[in-house]
Amino acid sequence: MKKSQAALEFLSTYAWAFVVIAITLGALYYSGIFDFSKYLPQKCTFPLQFKCLDFSLSPGTVRVKLINNLGEDIKVNQISITNDATVAIACTSPITPFDWAHSAEKDIEFTSCSGGGYISGERVDLRVQMAYHAVNTPSKPSHTINGRINGKVTG
Amino acid sequence: MAKSQVKAQSSFEYMLIVALTFAIIIPATYLFYSYSKDSSQEITDAQITKLGRNIVDSAEKIYYSGLGSKTIADLNVPDGVISAVIIDGKELVFNVSSNIGISEVVFFSSVNMTASPQYCTANVCSLPGLSSPGLKKVKIEVLVKDSVNIDTL
Repeated sequence: MKKSQAALEFLSTYAWAFVVIAITLGALYYSGIFDFSKYLPQKCTFPLQFKCLDFSLSPGTVRVKLINNLGEDIKVNQISITNDATVAIACTSPITPFDWAHSAEKDIEFTSCSGGGYISGERVDLRVQMAYHAVNTPSKPSHTINGRINGKVTG
Repeated sequence: MAKSQVKAQSSFEYMLIVALTFAIIIPATYLFYSYSKDSSQEITDAQITKLGRNIVDSAEKIYYSGLGSKTIADLNVPDGVISAVIIDGKELVFNVSSNIGISEVVFFSSVNMTASPQYCTANVCSLPGLSSPGLKKVKIEVLVKDSVNIDTL
C-alpha cells in the first residue's frame, strides 16, 4: 500500500511539472518568444532583372522601388500583392497597364492595404506578382515574375 | 551538505546547461537556415542570368561571324529551372521555380534564335536540353541565313 502510494505521488508530482512546463512554453509561444523570424534582416527580393532598390512598409501603404534591368522597354499589364495569411492582405494596386523603359527606376505603390496581419509594428512577409510584355516582341507574350518583401510595418 | 542535496544541485546545473545550449542552438539554426535559403535563391538567380546572357551573347557573336559558324558552350543549368523556350526568335525564356512561385526570366536577343524544327510550334521553340539542372553542352550554330540554331548535345 505504502509503495503504491509513493509511486502515485511520484507520478503526480511529475505530471504537475509537465503541466507547468507545457503552460509556460505555451505562454512563451503565444507571446512570440519563439518567433525567431523577427531577428532576420528586412529584405526585398526580386529577380535580378527587376532588382529591388528600396522598399517601405507604412500603415496602409506598401512602396517598392524596382529597376528594369531587362534591356528592353516593357508594358506592365498586371501587378498584385498578397501574403500567406488566412485572410490575405488586400491592397489597391497601381493602375495598369503602364510603360516602363529599360534602365528606368519605378516606384510602385500599393495603397489602402488591410488584412493579412498588416498592422503597424508587425513583421510581414508579402509576395508581389507582376505580369508584363516586351513592347518590341511581335507576339507580345506575357511573362510573370514574383518578388518578396519581408519587413516590419513602421510609422 | 547532504549527499542528496549535492546530487540535486548537479542535476539542476546539468539541466540548466542543456536548456541554455538549446536556447542558443535552436534560434541560431533557424537564422542560419533562413540566411542560406535566401542566399541560395540569389545564387540561382545569378546563375540563370549568367546562363541566359552567355547563350544570347554567343548567339549574337556567332550570327555576325556568318553562315556555318558555330560554337559549343559548357553551361551550368541551376536547380529550379523547369523549362526553357525561345519565343518569336527574340526572347529566351527560363521558367524558374522558387519558394515564392514560378517566375519567368527573359533574355532578349538582337538576332533571330531558333531550335531544332521538331521542338518548334508556331512562334515557340522549346529547349528540352536546358529544362533540367546540370552541366550542359550547348551548340550555337548558324545553319541558315538570318537565324542562329540553339541545341544541346
